[in-house]
Amino acid sequence: MGDGRHARFRWAEHTGELELEIEADAEEAVYEAALSAMSELIDDDPETRARTREGARAPVDATVRDIAVEAPDRARLLAELLGELAFLAETEGFVPEELERLAVDGQRLDATVRGRLGDPPHLVKAVTYHRLAFDADDGRWRATVVLDV
Amino acid sequence: MAGLRRVGEVVWQIDAGARADMRVPARIFADDRLIDAIRQDDALEQLQNVATLPGIVEAAMAMPDVHQGYGFPVGTVAATELPDGVVSPGGVGYDINCGVRLLALPVTRSELGARKERLVHEISRRVPAGTGRDSRLSLSGRELDRVLVDGPRALVEHHRIGTEDDLEHTESHGRIEGADPAQVSDRARQRGAPQLGTMGSGNHFVEVQHVHRLLAPRFDLREDQVTVLIHSGSRGLGHQVCTDFVKRMDARLDEHGITLPDRQLSCAPASSPDGRAYLAAMAAAANFAWANRQAIAHGVRQAVRTVLGDGAARATRQVYDVAHNVAKVERHGDRELCVHRKGATRAFPGQAVFIPGSMGTCSFVLEGRRGAIDQTFGTVCHGAGRAMSRAGARKRVQGAELRRTLEAQGITVRSPSSRGLAEEAPFAYKDVENVVDVVTRAGLAAPVAELRPIGVVKG
Repeated sequence: MGDGRHARFRWAEHTGELELEIEADAEEAVYEAALSAMSELIDDDPETRARTREGARAPVDATVRDIAVEAPDRARLLAELLGELAFLAETEGFVPEELERLAVDGQRLDATVRGRLGDPPHLVKAVTYHRLAFDADDGRWRATVVLDV
Repeated sequence: MAGLRRVGEVVWQIDAGARADMRVPARIFADDRLIDAIRQDDALEQLQNVATLPGIVEAAMAMPDVHQGYGFPVGTVAATELPDGVVSPGGVGYDINCGVRLLALPVTRSELGARKERLVHEISRRVPAGTGRDSRLSLSGRELDRVLVDGPRALVEHHRIGTEDDLEHTESHGRIEGADPAQVSDRARQRGAPQLGTMGSGNHFVEVQHVHRLLAPRFDLREDQVTVLIHSGSRGLGHQVCTDFVKRMDARLDEHGITLPDRQLSCAPASSPDGRAYLAAMAAAANFAWANRQAIAHGVRQAVRTVLGDGAARATRQVYDVAHNVAKVERHGDRELCVHRKGATRAFPGQAVFIPGSMGTCSFVLEGRRGAIDQTFGTVCHGAGRAMSRAGARKRVQGAELRRTLEAQGITVRSPSSRGLAEEAPFAYKDVENVVDVVTRAGLAAPVAELRPIGVVKG
């Protein structure tokens, strides 16, 4: 969304799965970073990109998807957003690239995600509730999500 | 880990008094070397969390290949007493009925000879791999319902995929009673329907092997015989069933008066509407997984037909198929239990069990022993068990380099992803021989054969 907010993410060490840690200076930036992390995860294999460009499943095609999810708190909203991205990747071959619009209102999140149709690996089986967290502390927002891969 | 003490030659325990919320002890099967490896991550803390589940009996038990997971550690067996003990979707895992199937070919490695390369190639052509590559099977909604209720039997009877003999050599004949397609969400169907007969990604594989050492004359295996080991599960359908029910049970923990140390352990009494609905959906996903491995085995037989002829394909025999992520209602002594096996394999006396090693190393065929019934609700390990993160493995080796190393060892490799290959490097796993040695010394199972890889198709 490019409005000067800062966020960073890293993949923490986890023996069996993937643990995503996000730190940001605004709540919305956490969602943006989560989308970037998911994008990196399912589209960082040059071989996959090469296959996509050869038209293995669908032509490279910019497109958008609207996402609306609900959950009792922001941590589970984040899990729902990532779960929806994994679902779209698996069922439609949608590779997310940018969060174009985001509206969070209590227990509901509405987003428009810009991306493209490709042949992303269905790497993420699920978004777990293990260690799931999304809180503010001293003006910094931090989130943790463990993905089953 | 405070409170961890040795209670047997290869058995360790953390008593229930170690934490106020533990209802039973946490028990671990391991030798000195493996217990040191197990202590390196959060597996023991997660095992103690499992010991808090309402209705759990005897102990939360970890197999020697246990490692940190989410909620349950991977490599755990936990039994709850019915009717009111809980069932936990996370205690089965997202890949419901992930499991292994072993096929025995009517040829030896030397008889296969130079045709091995072509056989591996043909398998890679017929078994879609990598991730969600679409299946060649297209099922209508009604046909999918049949698979959810009847598992591989639906493929045998309606699609001529597999044989009655395959069903005879499958855990529970490939069908858990009580499956209800109505409990499987539309999202789960949407994910899974196009994926029947596909391998998936991560640590899933089809491996061509040979019997390197026959240790006991069981299951009609012979020295140097070529075998094919299939490792896959319920694909997106099972993943979504688990997702749906973790969320549903998490939202109703207060209603059931359940407090948990980890939200991923979300659960409900097995006799409650949520518990019954999950067991019906999980059974459907488990049946789908057995059908999935049946369809993959069909692809392998087609490859055998192309390379070795029709007679060899017909004589390709299923040794057994066994799950390692499932919850089953079983009677042990005078109790009816819900036995959760998460990264753990049923090992009833006389039953075949397959323990895949890491890529490039050996795998084992075991036979369940009475000691498993007495000690672990009839359960043993499921593999070598990860010892290193996926990122850690990628830092140590590149996929292309690993591919060259395996090829130099005489192992033909087909994988769509170099990244995925690196993440499954042999050094990222514990020593499978060490793991098998522990379950043998514990009296849970006995070794039958050591299998060595000669080709691998990886997801």
